Amino acid sequence: MKNLFYLFIFTLLAVTGCKNEPAATSATAEKTTNSVRYAKGLQIYKYSGITVVKVTQPWPDAKDGFTYVMQQKGAVVPDSLKKYTVVQVPVKSVVVTSTTHIPSLEMLGVENTLIGFPGTDYISSKKTRALINSGKVKEAGANESLNTEILLDLNPDALVAFGLNSTNKALNTLEQSGMKVLYNGDWTEQSPLGKAEWIKFFGALYGMDDKANELFDKIEKDYNGALALSQKVAKKPTAMAGALYQDQWYMPQGGSWGALFLKDSGANYLWADTEGTGSLGLSFETVLDKAENADVWIGPGQFTSLKEMTDANPHYAQFKSFKNKQVYSYSTKKGATGGLLYFELAPNRPDLILKDLISIFHPEVLPGYQLQFFEKLK
Amino acid sequence: MDKTKTILSAQQVSIGYTSKKDAIAIANGINLNLKAGTLTALIGANGIGKSTLLRTLTGIQNPLAGTVFLNNKDLNSYNATQLAQQLSIVLTESLPPSNLTVFELVALGRQPYTNWLGSLSNDDLASVEKALQLTQIEHLSAKKHFEISDGQLQKVLIARALAQDTPLIILDEPSTHLDVLHKVNLLRLLKTLAHDAGKCILYSTHDLDLALQLSDDIIVMTKDNLVHDSSKNLIANKVFDTLFDDPNIVFDESKNGFVVK
Amino acid sequence: MQHAKRNSILFIILGICLLVLFVLNISLGSVKIPLQDVFTSLTGGNASKPAWDYIIVNYRLPKAITAMLVGMGLAMGGLLMQTLFRNPLAGPDVLGLSSGASLGVAVVILGSGILPGIAATFFLSSYSIVLASTAGSFVVLLAVLAVAQRLRDTMAILIIGLMFSSFTGAIVSVLTYFSTAEQLQKYTFWALGSLGNLPWNDIFILFVVTVIGLSLSALCIKPLDALLLGERYAKSLGINFKRTRFVIILATSLLTGCITAFAGPVLFVGLVVPHIAKLLFKTSNHKILFWATLLSGGVLVLLCDIFTQLPGSAFVLPINAITSIIGAPVVVSLLISKRKGIFN
Repeated sequence: MKNLFYLFIFTLLAVTGCKNEPAATSATAEKTTNSVRYAKGLQIYKYSGITVVKVTQPWPDAKDGFTYVMQQKGAVVPDSLKKYTVVQVPVKSVVVTSTTHIPSLEMLGVENTLIGFPGTDYISSKKTRALINSGKVKEAGANESLNTEILLDLNPDALVAFGLNSTNKALNTLEQSGMKVLYNGDWTEQSPLGKAEWIKFFGALYGMDDKANELFDKIEKDYNGALALSQKVAKKPTAMAGALYQDQWYMPQGGSWGALFLKDSGANYLWADTEGTGSLGLSFETVLDKAENADVWIGPGQFTSLKEMTDANPHYAQFKSFKNKQVYSYSTKKGATGGLLYFELAPNRPDLILKDLISIFHPEVLPGYQLQFFEKLK
Repeated sequence: MDKTKTILSAQQVSIGYTSKKDAIAIANGINLNLKAGTLTALIGANGIGKSTLLRTLTGIQNPLAGTVFLNNKDLNSYNATQLAQQLSIVLTESLPPSNLTVFELVALGRQPYTNWLGSLSNDDLASVEKALQLTQIEHLSAKKHFEISDGQLQKVLIARALAQDTPLIILDEPSTHLDVLHKVNLLRLLKTLAHDAGKCILYSTHDLDLALQLSDDIIVMTKDNLVHDSSKNLIANKVFDTLFDDPNIVFDESKNGFVVK
Repeated sequence: MQHAKRNSILFIILGICLLVLFVLNISLGSVKIPLQDVFTSLTGGNASKPAWDYIIVNYRLPKAITAMLVGMGLAMGGLLMQTLFRNPLAGPDVLGLSSGASLGVAVVILGSGILPGIAATFFLSSYSIVLASTAGSFVVLLAVLAVAQRLRDTMAILIIGLMFSSFTGAIVSVLTYFSTAEQLQKYTFWALGSLGNLPWNDIFILFVVTVIGLSLSALCIKPLDALLLGERYAKSLGINFKRTRFVIILATSLLTGCITAFAGPVLFVGLVVPHIAKLLFKTSNHKILFWATLLSGGVLVLLCDIFTQLPGSAFVLPINAITSIIGAPVVVSLLISKRKGIFN
């Protein structure tokens, strides 16, 4: 059910080991603070002419992270920082590897620096699709394997990759060739605002830290505004999520990104008290037993109509939420080539997701609101 | 050619099997003496232990007691290559599928003498040619081993043993699947090899009448004992009368064969 | 002798094919690079784009070398296994080594959910997959050797190898059941095999181990010829069967284990190439088959690798898909065109 992410792993060992933190002998005069507030895996320190970006959780249970030094023109990189990957910013050409990176580029207005993407069909945003159709964005591989040759030929200023754990042969080769490979850990974030805050990662890459901060602040404000509205509502409808996949019902765990939204939108998610940030694998009976009378059903996988659901499994009709046609799916809104809008834009716009969910659970709070990501299944 | 040279001998040998707990003896107190230039047949009822005896004599199996001597040396003291230069075998089992030509098959007999790669020297080639000539199969050299008849294949396997150039050749039931004509030709060939090339040849068989006519000596295995002697003496001593357990099968001296009453 | 002449001609043709395919492999790829630039780069000059130099010298050239080593090593393993077990369907994975390697890798990639402690110690190194794969095949190898010492019957070893394969395969299935989608994808991709992206250090190791494995195999040429007559005859010719079997298994393990560690489990090559060699040269003589298998193996994998790149497309197909698609029809067509096959 999860998005098919693109796995590119950067070797830890020799080049960018984070193990030895520089002592206070660096030439950096000012000691600044981390400007990141919500994201647990990202730290950004701005100095004059240099921004130090630390990705501390490139993948779950990562022992070490990565440090990147974004160097603006004319700035001096102190010796203590020279052992990290230094990137000249703003970058003029970039290859990203997840559709979740695209909205950040567009919000910063730098989508025209994109020159390649693995699996361009997955991109749904119209703006970037136009670039793809005009040939500016090249196909860089299929699914999970980056095409080394094409990447070498494209030779982007930076490659924003992300990965599962520490070995990926293709990324090793690219890194050996001198390409700047950066790990983006946004997918390991669980908190809604934490995920969105990764726009600052891209801000640093383009020397647009201020713009990124501004964009995020607005999202934060809108999110908290909606959150305040939802807290005022007393009644909390019960909610369930997920669907069957090969005999297992994948139900988001209480600490996962999806579940946190349900909590913030003032719903009573029936599995909210489970721990973990992944999914539970439950049997159909367990789910029916607990959630037969749930008010609302959120996100039943890839289904786009009620009939599709009963065709796949007639027992879905047993749920009260199904009978009352209170099933809301995110799989109906797609781009021209089939990419799901939800997977691409949602991580960057938690404010819109929250409003969507509030509108679903407490329609009276946001009168006239049009759902952006979800659609009530017919 | 020293006709009195003993090639293979056994002293007080017991043959049989060892399982986890004890030893099961099939025959005890075997004494044998096979000389160069002789053709000896091994006769016995089915299940009497002929194969076990052959396996013990060729070193595949250890004797339960006693010692087997090859060229007056303990059989166990030979290493694999030395043994391969003294003793060669001909079996009846079918060969695994392969594309070997007759020539290649016979040439494999030279392995105990060739280098690590198995390359054939001029001497090796000469031995192979000679083996092909003796068995009169030169015209088959280029054929694949599966393209010839059983009888011809038999000769090829014998040629291979000949190429191995060993003083002792042991054959396990070589005449079993052949018709009378081929049986006779086979034994004539073996006899020629024994007398002209000086080989010591031992073969097991069920064809007693032919064995009596064409072999020099016969080893007779019965339940109770083992006798090794010339055909004449064996008949004179009435050894064949008790060969089979069936009183209706009788050895007829005048016919030199068995008769059913 | 007619045979010798025919063989010489065939060897020359194979050698030329190998060379041509090697150059072709380097010339073709996802990025269209003109032949002129290819030669310029290879001979130390500069191509039109520096990126192209890099692609040719540091991506395509290592990949072509890997392809040759993989082809030669696996093909030889297949030849050894087919003669030892007298089974035309045997391949180098018949001892269960590839399955052991797969299990090791599965534990590293998929097992973090279930075995956090053990897995964590492996995750740190960039060589985690290579090490896990080697460890996996090594464990299976030890098990097979231990069993082989006790067994006189060679066929039993074959069956035990197959049982190890099933066993490890079952464990991997269980692990996949408890893993996430991404882990599964990563494991699946490893299992599809990949010849590219090997750093020069790794290629050096692969080269050394392959040479050792091939040398050991060469020592087996004479005993393998004797084994064409069966174990009993072979022993009567002076072959130390137990030692021969040990060396054959050792050589196959070195070749298969190392190749699987670096390139993933590449299927079909070991099974198919010995048959191609036997059908082309129409002989069972291992002195000829040794070289015939080597050259044919290199040719086949270079050819398959060319087809994975689908010139001009961004898609790179997995090597295993291509080896199966190309290998099978080749054997079938060779069998049909000659009336008398290799199996009678």
